[in-house]
Amino acid sequence: MAAQSAQSAQAVQSRDTFLLLPITIDSTTKDITNLSHDPLLSRELEALNNLHRSLKQPPITDGVPPPPVPVHPHRTAMIEKMRNTGNAAFRKQNYREAIDLYTHAIQMALTRPGWEPAPLLRDELQQLYSNRAQAHIGINNWPEGLADANCSIEFKKAGNQKAHWRKCKCLKEMGRLEEARDGLEYGLEFGTDPELSNMLKEVQDMLDRRQ
Amino acid sequence: MNKLSLLAPLVYIAVLVGTLAVFSNLYRKRKASKAASLKPWFGPHYARDVYLTLLHQETSKVPDTILKAALLRRATEDIRRIIALRQAKGSLQQLLQRGSIGDDLWTRFTVAEAEIEEELRDVVLEANAFKEGWGNTIFQTANEMANAQRIRDRTDEVVEQAAAERAWWDEKRKRSERELLGESNSDEDGVLVEKR
Repeated sequence: MAAQSAQSAQAVQSRDTFLLLPITIDSTTKDITNLSHDPLLSRELEALNNLHRSLKQPPITDGVPPPPVPVHPHRTAMIEKMRNTGNAAFRKQNYREAIDLYTHAIQMALTRPGWEPAPLLRDELQQLYSNRAQAHIGINNWPEGLADANCSIEFKKAGNQKAHWRKCKCLKEMGRLEEARDGLEYGLEFGTDPELSNMLKEVQDMLDRRQ
Repeated sequence: MNKLSLLAPLVYIAVLVGTLAVFSNLYRKRKASKAASLKPWFGPHYARDVYLTLLHQETSKVPDTILKAALLRRATEDIRRIIALRQAKGSLQQLLQRGSIGDDLWTRFTVAEAEIEEELRDVVLEANAFKEGWGNTIFQTANEMANAQRIRDRTDEVVEQAAAERAWWDEKRKRSERELLGESNSDEDGVLVEKR
Protein backbone atom coordinates (compact mmCIF):
# COMPACT_ATOMS: atom_id res chain seq x y z
CA MET A 1 0.00 0.00 0.00
CA ALA A 2 2.77 2.38 0.94
CA ALA A 3 4.72 1.50 -2.16
CA GLN A 4 1.59 2.08 -4.21
CA SER A 5 1.20 5.66 -3.10
CA ALA A 6 4.88 6.27 -3.63
CA GLN A 7 4.54 4.97 -7.16
CA SER A 8 1.67 7.18 -8.11
CA ALA A 9 3.32 10.23 -6.59
CA GLN A 10 6.42 9.60 -8.66
CA ALA A 11 4.48 8.91 -11.84
CA VAL A 12 2.39 12.05 -11.54
CA GLN A 13 5.44 14.11 -10.87
CA SER A 14 7.33 12.79 -13.88
CA ARG A 15 4.32 13.05 -16.18
CA ASP A 16 3.85 16.71 -15.44
CA THR A 17 7.46 17.75 -15.66
CA PHE A 18 10.16 17.54 -18.25
CA LEU A 19 13.66 18.83 -18.73
CA LEU A 20 13.76 21.95 -20.90
CA LEU A 21 16.62 21.23 -23.28
CA PRO A 22 18.91 23.83 -24.86
CA ILE A 23 17.89 23.23 -28.46
CA THR A 24 16.97 25.51 -31.30
CA ILE A 25 15.39 25.15 -34.71
CA ASP A 26 16.98 26.35 -37.93
CA SER A 27 14.42 28.53 -39.69
CA THR A 28 15.33 27.41 -43.23
CA THR A 29 16.33 23.75 -43.01
CA LYS A 30 14.04 23.10 -40.02
CA ASP A 31 16.87 21.06 -38.45
CA ILE A 32 17.04 20.96 -34.68
CA THR A 33 20.47 21.84 -33.31
CA ASN A 34 22.06 21.32 -29.94
CA LEU A 35 23.21 24.42 -28.03
CA SER A 36 24.96 22.44 -25.31
CA HIS A 37 27.88 20.03 -25.51
CA ASP A 38 25.99 16.92 -24.52
CA PRO A 39 27.03 14.19 -26.99
CA LEU A 40 24.01 12.02 -26.15
CA LEU A 41 21.64 14.88 -26.94
CA SER A 42 23.48 15.53 -30.20
CA ARG A 43 23.03 11.89 -31.16
CA GLU A 44 19.34 11.99 -30.37
CA LEU A 45 18.89 15.16 -32.43
CA GLU A 46 20.78 13.69 -35.36
CA ALA A 47 18.47 10.69 -35.33
CA LEU A 48 15.48 12.99 -35.07
CA ASN A 49 16.57 15.13 -38.03
CA ASN A 50 17.21 12.03 -40.14
CA LEU A 51 13.83 10.63 -39.25
CA HIS A 52 12.21 13.95 -40.03
CA ARG A 53 13.81 13.97 -43.47
CA SER A 54 12.70 10.43 -44.23
CA LEU A 55 9.16 11.25 -43.07
CA LYS A 56 9.02 13.93 -45.75
CA GLN A 57 9.70 11.48 -48.59
CA PRO A 58 6.77 10.41 -50.75
CA PRO A 59 4.40 8.56 -50.47
CA ILE A 60 4.08 10.13 -47.01
CA THR A 61 2.11 13.34 -47.20
CA ASP A 62 1.22 14.24 -43.63
CA GLY A 63 4.41 13.35 -41.73
CA VAL A 64 2.81 10.25 -40.23
CA PRO A 65 4.50 6.99 -41.24
CA PRO A 66 2.25 4.33 -42.79
CA PRO A 67 1.68 1.10 -40.84
CA PRO A 68 4.57 -1.42 -41.24
CA VAL A 69 2.62 -3.54 -43.72
CA PRO A 70 2.07 -3.57 -46.65
CA VAL A 71 5.60 -2.86 -47.86
CA HIS A 72 6.24 -0.85 -50.99
CA PRO A 73 7.68 -3.52 -53.34
CA HIS A 74 10.08 -1.25 -55.25
CA ARG A 75 13.09 -1.48 -52.94
CA THR A 76 12.65 -5.21 -52.39
CA ALA A 77 12.80 -5.74 -56.15
CA MET A 78 15.95 -3.55 -56.45
CA ILE A 79 17.73 -5.48 -53.73
CA GLU A 80 16.71 -8.78 -55.26
CA LYS A 81 18.04 -7.66 -58.63
CA MET A 82 21.34 -6.50 -57.14
CA ARG A 83 21.75 -9.81 -55.36
CA ASN A 84 21.09 -11.77 -58.54
CA THR A 85 23.69 -9.70 -60.39
CA GLY A 86 26.09 -10.48 -57.55
CA ASN A 87 25.29 -14.18 -57.82
CA ALA A 88 25.97 -14.06 -61.58
CA ALA A 89 29.34 -12.40 -60.97
CA PHE A 90 30.12 -15.02 -58.36
CA ARG A 91 29.40 -17.84 -60.78
CA LYS A 92 31.80 -16.23 -63.28
CA GLN A 93 34.33 -16.22 -60.44
CA ASN A 94 34.50 -12.42 -60.45
CA TYR A 95 34.65 -12.51 -56.67
CA ARG A 96 35.65 -8.88 -56.14
CA GLU A 97 32.84 -7.66 -58.31
CA ALA A 98 30.43 -9.94 -56.47
CA ILE A 99 31.60 -8.52 -53.13
CA ASP A 100 31.00 -4.97 -54.38
CA LEU A 101 27.52 -5.87 -55.61
CA TYR A 102 26.56 -7.59 -52.36
CA THR A 103 27.90 -4.63 -50.38
CA HIS A 104 25.75 -2.37 -52.50
CA ALA A 105 22.69 -4.50 -51.88
CA ILE A 106 23.42 -4.49 -48.13
CA GLN A 107 23.57 -0.69 -48.21
CA MET A 108 20.23 -0.60 -50.02
CA ALA A 109 18.65 -2.85 -47.43
CA LEU A 110 20.09 -0.80 -44.58
CA THR A 111 18.63 2.43 -45.95
CA ARG A 112 15.12 1.01 -45.93
CA PRO A 113 12.76 3.32 -44.04
CA GLY A 114 12.95 2.36 -40.37
CA TRP A 115 9.24 1.68 -39.97
CA GLU A 116 9.20 -1.15 -42.52
CA PRO A 117 9.01 -4.62 -40.95
CA ALA A 118 12.27 -5.49 -39.22
CA PRO A 119 11.98 -9.27 -39.97
CA LEU A 120 12.07 -8.45 -43.68
CA LEU A 121 15.28 -6.47 -43.20
CA ARG A 122 16.83 -9.23 -41.12
CA ASP A 123 15.96 -11.84 -43.71
CA GLU A 124 17.48 -9.85 -46.56
CA LEU A 125 20.63 -9.12 -44.61
CA GLN A 126 21.25 -12.68 -43.45
CA GLN A 127 21.15 -13.84 -47.05
CA LEU A 128 23.34 -11.03 -48.38
CA TYR A 129 25.96 -11.41 -45.64
CA SER A 130 26.04 -15.16 -46.20
CA ASN A 131 26.55 -14.64 -49.94
CA ARG A 132 29.24 -12.06 -49.37
CA ALA A 133 31.03 -14.42 -47.00
CA GLN A 134 31.16 -16.99 -49.80
CA ALA A 135 32.58 -14.40 -52.21
CA HIS A 136 35.23 -13.48 -49.63
CA ILE A 137 36.11 -17.16 -49.35
CA GLY A 138 36.59 -17.18 -53.14
CA ILE A 139 39.56 -14.80 -52.85
CA ASN A 140 40.89 -16.20 -49.54
CA ASN A 141 39.66 -13.21 -47.53
CA TRP A 142 39.17 -15.36 -44.43
CA PRO A 143 38.82 -12.58 -41.80
CA GLU A 144 36.15 -10.70 -43.74
CA GLY A 145 34.37 -13.92 -44.60
CA LEU A 146 34.31 -14.87 -40.94
CA ALA A 147 32.81 -11.52 -39.89
CA ASP A 148 30.11 -11.75 -42.56
CA ALA A 149 29.20 -15.35 -41.78
CA ASN A 150 29.05 -14.58 -38.05
CA CYS A 151 26.57 -11.80 -38.72
CA SER A 152 24.46 -14.00 -40.98
CA ILE A 153 24.30 -16.71 -38.32
CA GLU A 154 23.28 -14.23 -35.66
CA PHE A 155 20.38 -13.07 -37.81
CA LYS A 156 19.28 -16.62 -38.60
CA LYS A 157 20.60 -19.55 -36.64
CA ALA A 158 18.38 -22.43 -37.76
CA GLY A 159 18.10 -23.37 -41.42
CA ASN A 160 21.21 -21.37 -42.25
CA GLN A 161 23.64 -24.28 -42.63
CA LYS A 162 25.52 -22.59 -45.48
CA ALA A 163 26.53 -19.72 -43.21
CA HIS A 164 27.63 -22.15 -40.50
CA TRP A 165 29.76 -23.94 -43.09
CA ARG A 166 31.27 -20.69 -44.38
CA LYS A 167 32.15 -19.49 -40.90
CA CYS A 168 33.92 -22.72 -40.05
CA LYS A 169 35.68 -22.84 -43.42
CA CYS A 170 37.23 -19.43 -42.62
CA LEU A 171 38.17 -20.54 -39.12
CA LYS A 172 39.73 -23.73 -40.44
CA GLU A 173 41.75 -21.91 -43.07
CA MET A 174 43.07 -19.52 -40.45
CA GLY A 175 44.19 -22.48 -38.37
CA ARG A 176 41.63 -21.95 -35.58
CA LEU A 177 40.65 -25.60 -35.50
CA GLU A 178 39.10 -25.70 -32.03
CA GLU A 179 36.83 -22.77 -32.87
CA ALA A 180 35.94 -24.43 -36.18
CA ARG A 181 35.04 -27.67 -34.41
CA ASP A 182 32.85 -25.83 -31.88
CA GLY A 183 31.18 -23.89 -34.70
CA LEU A 184 30.46 -27.06 -36.66
CA GLU A 185 29.00 -28.82 -33.65
CA TYR A 186 26.86 -25.76 -32.99
CA GLY A 187 25.67 -25.71 -36.60
CA LEU A 188 24.77 -29.42 -36.45
CA GLU A 189 22.53 -28.70 -33.45
CA PHE A 190 20.12 -27.09 -35.88
CA GLY A 191 19.77 -30.21 -38.04
CA THR A 192 21.95 -32.75 -39.83
CA ASP A 193 23.89 -31.57 -42.82
CA PRO A 194 26.32 -33.79 -44.80
CA GLU A 195 28.69 -30.92 -45.62
CA LEU A 196 28.97 -29.82 -42.02
CA SER A 197 29.54 -33.43 -40.88
CA ASN A 198 32.25 -33.89 -43.51
CA MET A 199 34.11 -30.79 -42.41
CA LEU A 200 33.73 -31.79 -38.78
CA LYS A 201 35.40 -35.14 -39.55
CA GLU A 202 38.19 -33.34 -41.40
CA VAL A 203 38.76 -30.86 -38.59
CA GLN A 204 38.69 -33.62 -35.99
CA ASP A 205 41.34 -35.55 -37.96
CA MET A 206 43.52 -32.45 -38.16
CA LEU A 207 43.16 -31.90 -34.43
CA ASP A 208 44.02 -35.55 -33.69
CA ARG A 209 47.10 -35.36 -35.86
CA ARG A 210 48.21 -32.20 -34.14
CA GLN A 211 48.25 -33.89 -30.74
CA MET B 1 -17.30 4.43 39.33
CA ASN B 2 -19.70 2.90 36.90
CA LYS B 3 -18.96 5.66 34.43
CA LEU B 4 -15.20 5.10 34.62
CA SER B 5 -15.45 1.40 33.96
CA LEU B 6 -17.43 2.16 30.81
CA LEU B 7 -15.06 4.89 29.65
CA ALA B 8 -11.82 2.99 30.22
CA PRO B 9 -12.11 0.54 27.33
CA LEU B 10 -13.30 3.31 25.01
CA VAL B 11 -10.30 5.49 25.84
CA TYR B 12 -8.06 2.50 25.46
CA ILE B 13 -9.40 1.78 22.01
CA ALA B 14 -9.21 5.43 20.97
CA VAL B 15 -5.58 5.72 22.06
CA LEU B 16 -4.70 2.49 20.33
CA VAL B 17 -6.33 3.45 17.03
CA GLY B 18 -4.87 6.97 17.21
CA THR B 19 -1.36 5.67 17.74
CA LEU B 20 -1.70 3.21 14.92
CA ALA B 21 -3.00 5.92 12.60
CA VAL B 22 -0.15 8.28 13.42
CA PHE B 23 2.41 5.55 13.03
CA SER B 24 1.02 4.36 9.69
CA ASN B 25 0.82 7.91 8.43
CA LEU B 26 4.43 8.69 9.34
CA TYR B 27 5.63 5.36 8.01
CA ARG B 28 3.92 5.84 4.69
CA LYS B 29 5.22 9.37 4.28
CA ARG B 30 8.74 8.31 5.07
CA LYS B 31 8.56 5.42 2.65
CA ALA B 32 7.11 7.63 -0.08
CA SER B 33 9.83 10.23 0.29
CA LYS B 34 12.42 7.50 0.32
CA ALA B 35 11.01 6.00 -2.87
CA ALA B 36 10.92 9.42 -4.51
CA SER B 37 14.56 10.00 -3.69
CA LEU B 38 15.64 6.66 -5.17
CA LYS B 39 17.69 6.67 -8.32
CA PRO B 40 15.43 6.23 -11.36
CA TRP B 41 15.70 2.92 -13.21
CA PHE B 42 16.53 4.53 -16.55
CA GLY B 43 18.72 7.48 -17.45
CA PRO B 44 17.27 10.69 -18.86
CA HIS B 45 14.63 10.21 -21.54
CA TYR B 46 16.07 12.51 -24.18
CA ALA B 47 13.45 11.78 -26.81
CA ARG B 48 10.64 12.72 -24.44
CA ASP B 49 12.38 15.89 -23.30
CA VAL B 50 13.10 16.91 -26.88
CA TYR B 51 9.46 16.38 -27.85
CA LEU B 52 8.11 18.37 -24.91
CA THR B 53 10.70 21.12 -25.33
CA LEU B 54 9.69 21.51 -28.98
CA LEU B 55 6.02 21.43 -28.06
CA HIS B 56 6.54 24.29 -25.60
CA GLN B 57 8.66 26.47 -27.88
CA GLU B 58 7.40 30.02 -27.68
CA THR B 59 9.82 32.05 -29.76
CA SER B 60 9.49 30.16 -33.04
CA LYS B 61 6.76 27.97 -34.43
CA VAL B 62 7.85 24.36 -34.76
CA PRO B 63 6.36 22.61 -37.81
CA ASP B 64 4.04 19.69 -37.13
CA THR B 65 6.22 17.31 -39.13
CA ILE B 66 9.08 17.75 -36.68
CA LEU B 67 6.79 17.22 -33.73
CA LYS B 68 5.50 14.02 -35.31
CA ALA B 69 9.03 12.78 -35.91
CA ALA B 70 9.96 13.66 -32.32
CA LEU B 71 6.89 11.80 -31.03
CA LEU B 72 7.91 8.74 -33.02
CA ARG B 73 11.42 8.92 -31.55
CA ARG B 74 9.83 9.11 -28.12
CA ALA B 75 7.67 6.04 -28.81
CA THR B 76 10.73 4.12 -30.05
CA GLU B 77 12.64 4.85 -26.86
CA ASP B 78 9.57 3.78 -24.84
CA ILE B 79 9.51 0.44 -26.67
CA ARG B 80 13.19 -0.06 -25.87
CA ARG B 81 12.45 0.58 -22.22
CA ILE B 82 9.43 -1.73 -22.08
CA ILE B 83 11.50 -4.54 -23.54
CA ALA B 84 14.29 -3.89 -21.04
CA LEU B 85 11.79 -3.96 -18.15
CA ARG B 86 10.11 -7.15 -19.34
CA GLN B 87 13.41 -8.91 -19.76
CA ALA B 88 14.52 -7.90 -16.29
CA LYS B 89 11.27 -8.69 -14.50
CA GLY B 90 11.48 -12.49 -14.25
CA SER B 91 15.00 -12.68 -12.93
CA LEU B 92 14.42 -9.72 -10.61
CA GLN B 93 11.41 -11.47 -9.05
CA GLN B 94 13.46 -14.60 -8.50
CA LEU B 95 16.31 -12.66 -6.95
CA LEU B 96 13.88 -10.83 -4.69
CA GLN B 97 12.33 -14.08 -3.49
CA ARG B 98 15.74 -15.50 -2.71
CA GLY B 99 16.60 -12.29 -0.93
CA SER B 100 19.58 -11.59 -3.16
CA ILE B 101 18.45 -8.03 -3.85
CA GLY B 102 17.06 -5.38 -1.55
CA ASP B 103 13.60 -3.83 -1.50
CA ASP B 104 15.01 -0.58 -2.85
CA LEU B 105 15.85 -2.12 -6.19
CA TRP B 106 12.42 -3.65 -6.46
CA THR B 107 10.77 -0.32 -5.60
CA ARG B 108 12.81 1.38 -8.28
CA PHE B 109 11.68 -1.26 -10.73
CA THR B 110 7.96 -0.92 -9.93
CA VAL B 111 8.22 2.87 -10.12
CA ALA B 112 9.76 2.55 -13.58
CA GLU B 113 6.97 0.17 -14.62
CA ALA B 114 4.26 2.56 -13.48
CA GLU B 115 6.03 5.43 -15.21
CA ILE B 116 6.26 3.66 -18.54
CA GLU B 117 2.55 2.77 -18.45
CA GLU B 118 1.71 6.42 -17.92
CA GLU B 119 4.12 7.35 -20.68
CA LEU B 120 2.49 4.98 -23.18
CA ARG B 121 -0.95 6.38 -22.51
CA ASP B 122 0.43 9.88 -22.98
CA VAL B 123 2.04 9.05 -26.33
CA VAL B 124 -1.15 7.44 -27.66
CA LEU B 125 -3.12 10.55 -26.71
CA GLU B 126 -0.61 12.84 -28.42
CA ALA B 127 -0.55 10.67 -31.54
CA ASN B 128 -4.32 10.69 -31.82
CA ALA B 129 -4.27 14.45 -31.46
CA PHE B 130 -2.04 14.71 -34.55
CA LYS B 131 -4.02 12.29 -36.66
CA GLU B 132 -7.08 10.28 -35.76
CA GLY B 133 -6.13 6.62 -35.42
CA TRP B 134 -2.35 7.11 -35.34
CA GLY B 135 -2.40 6.04 -31.70
CA ASN B 136 -3.31 2.54 -32.86
CA THR B 137 -0.26 2.10 -35.05
CA ILE B 138 2.43 4.32 -33.54
CA PHE B 139 3.78 1.63 -31.23
CA GLN B 140 3.64 -0.96 -33.99
CA THR B 141 5.79 1.38 -36.06
CA ALA B 142 8.03 2.18 -33.10
CA ASN B 143 8.55 -1.52 -32.44
CA GLU B 144 9.75 -2.10 -35.99
CA MET B 145 12.02 0.92 -35.71
CA ALA B 146 13.55 -0.31 -32.46
CA ASN B 147 14.14 -3.77 -33.94
CA ALA B 148 15.56 -2.35 -37.15
CA GLN B 149 17.91 -0.20 -35.09
CA ARG B 150 19.22 -3.27 -33.30
CA ILE B 151 19.82 -4.97 -36.66
CA ARG B 152 21.65 -1.91 -37.95
CA ASP B 153 23.82 -1.78 -34.84
CA ARG B 154 24.76 -5.42 -35.43
CA THR B 155 25.82 -4.70 -39.01
CA ASP B 156 28.07 -1.90 -37.76
CA GLU B 157 29.85 -4.56 -35.75
CA VAL B 158 30.65 -6.52 -38.92
CA VAL B 159 33.00 -3.79 -40.13
CA GLU B 160 34.76 -3.60 -36.77
CA GLN B 161 35.00 -7.36 -36.45
CA ALA B 162 36.38 -7.75 -39.98
CA ALA B 163 39.05 -5.10 -39.29
CA ALA B 164 40.05 -6.74 -36.00
CA GLU B 165 40.19 -10.23 -37.53
CA ARG B 166 42.16 -8.87 -40.49
CA ALA B 167 44.73 -7.24 -38.20
CA TRP B 168 45.10 -10.48 -36.24
CA TRP B 169 45.42 -12.58 -39.38
CA ASP B 170 47.99 -10.31 -41.06
CA GLU B 171 50.01 -10.30 -37.88
CA LYS B 172 49.83 -14.08 -37.66
CA ARG B 173 50.89 -14.51 -41.25
CA LYS B 174 53.80 -12.12 -40.84
CA ARG B 175 54.92 -14.04 -37.81
CA SER B 176 54.75 -17.40 -39.55
CA GLU B 177 56.57 -15.94 -42.56
CA ARG B 178 59.34 -14.76 -40.30
CA GLU B 179 59.47 -18.17 -38.71
CA LEU B 180 59.75 -19.77 -42.14
CA LEU B 181 62.50 -17.40 -43.23
CA GLY B 182 64.38 -17.87 -40.03
CA GLU B 183 63.96 -21.62 -39.94
CA SER B 184 67.68 -22.26 -39.98
CA ASN B 185 68.13 -19.57 -37.35
CA SER B 186 65.11 -19.50 -35.06
CA ASP B 187 66.27 -16.34 -33.29
CA GLU B 188 64.21 -13.39 -34.54
CA ASP B 189 67.02 -10.88 -34.27
CA GLY B 190 69.09 -13.18 -36.40
CA VAL B 191 66.61 -12.80 -39.24
CA LEU B 192 66.85 -9.03 -39.08
CA VAL B 193 70.64 -9.15 -39.25
CA GLU B 194 70.45 -11.51 -42.19
CA LYS B 195 68.15 -9.16 -44.09
CA ARG B 196 70.54 -6.28 -43.68
